[in-house]
Amino acid sequence: MAVFMDLNISYTTNKKRLQSVIETAAQLGYSTVAINYVVDLQQKKQEIVKPKSVSELFKTFPIVQGKSRPIKVLNRLTVVASEPSHFRPTVDYKAYDLVAVFPQTEKLFHAACMTFDVDIICVAVTERLPFFFKRSPVNGAIERSVFFEISYTHAIRDHTMRRYTIANAINLMEICKGKNVIVSSGAEHPLEMRGPYDISNLGLLFGLSEEDGKAAVSTNCRAVCLHGETRKTALGIIHTIKKDPALTDRVEEDAPASKRAKIEMA
Amino acid sequence: MVRLKSRYLLCEVCVSDRSHLLLLDDGTVQNAAKHALIQAHGDYGFAHSIFGFSVKYLNAHTGIVLLRCRKSHYRLIWSALPFITGLKKRGQKVPCFFNCLHVGGTIRTCQKFLVRYNTQQLHRMLPLCHSEEERSAIRKSVLSCTVQKDADADSEEDIGEED
Repeated sequence: MAVFMDLNISYTTNKKRLQSVIETAAQLGYSTVAINYVVDLQQKKQEIVKPKSVSELFKTFPIVQGKSRPIKVLNRLTVVASEPSHFRPTVDYKAYDLVAVFPQTEKLFHAACMTFDVDIICVAVTERLPFFFKRSPVNGAIERSVFFEISYTHAIRDHTMRRYTIANAINLMEICKGKNVIVSSGAEHPLEMRGPYDISNLGLLFGLSEEDGKAAVSTNCRAVCLHGETRKTALGIIHTIKKDPALTDRVEEDAPASKRAKIEMA
Repeated sequence: MVRLKSRYLLCEVCVSDRSHLLLLDDGTVQNAAKHALIQAHGDYGFAHSIFGFSVKYLNAHTGIVLLRCRKSHYRLIWSALPFITGLKKRGQKVPCFFNCLHVGGTIRTCQKFLVRYNTQQLHRMLPLCHSEEERSAIRKSVLSCTVQKDADADSEEDIGEED
């Protein structure tokens, strides 16, 4: 059984609604969800806020349908970039598990694919594409294992948006051939969520094959999460955590013991 | 002779308020699905998939719906289902969404799946009971149904009611 993920749940200040959206996601069988904080630096007085700790949200996380584990909640930042100065990897970004960028111009799209240190590139779904996708940046993004995201909530809400969503998605699929695509919800209300199997089948409309459609909600999302982790750590190999002062003694005692064990084995 | 093959989509209707589920009937579900189908695939797609499309089973207590369609075009219908946002009944609209649980080749396999699924749901919900009395009451009601032979359908209904 694949593990399904939905990496885009819109953040609302309404805590109750956010809780009910996450509960619905668990009910539908999503094992991991990401709460999406959008920052549009074009508008004035927009700042990157610290994400709320996920443990504040629930006392006990709801159990995922068909599994016995509780749902995992991540934080994700989406930067809407219309000028190159908007995307600056600062300390603020480090507080988030995932970083996404929503490029508005062709130049920025190129930069996002080739150089920006991001996990996800969002594709416009509410308007006609402001630029054409070119093969070289898209291939570059695939090589760097950066993923393209299509969100489906707008398609469900309104039928002109649906046309744009499908048209833009098909446009992208022609270039990337169904690779490195994730489909996520972007839901604000619990009733805008859809089940993972429905979504993988909805990929049919977006020009994804059966296999790619399923990968778009499961394995590709997992790759995104791992990519996000590698940004936090040194290439995903070394992980630094703050040492708990109460535990220091015990940890130091343990360390030589494990070394000795290794030597004996060798 | 080769028989005409169909696919059965076992769906769950999810609503915010479970009491709205009792308003469900075959006609409203079928209309909503057809409407979504026209919106998603246009007249051509509608014409392709409408033959043999029907609502086979509907349980207003648990919100389970069984849709039947031709095997050749079941993916068209399935991909239209996410666009259903509400069911219209006598002027009032019930916001809801369809969650597809299982796709089967026969009604029998769908029924088998549904029994297994509902058992799972029961196990999920039992720890949420507030008191021991509630728990034993639910157990008793389930057991009393399964004593009879051919009582699968009844026991499913009970699980929904106790929820």
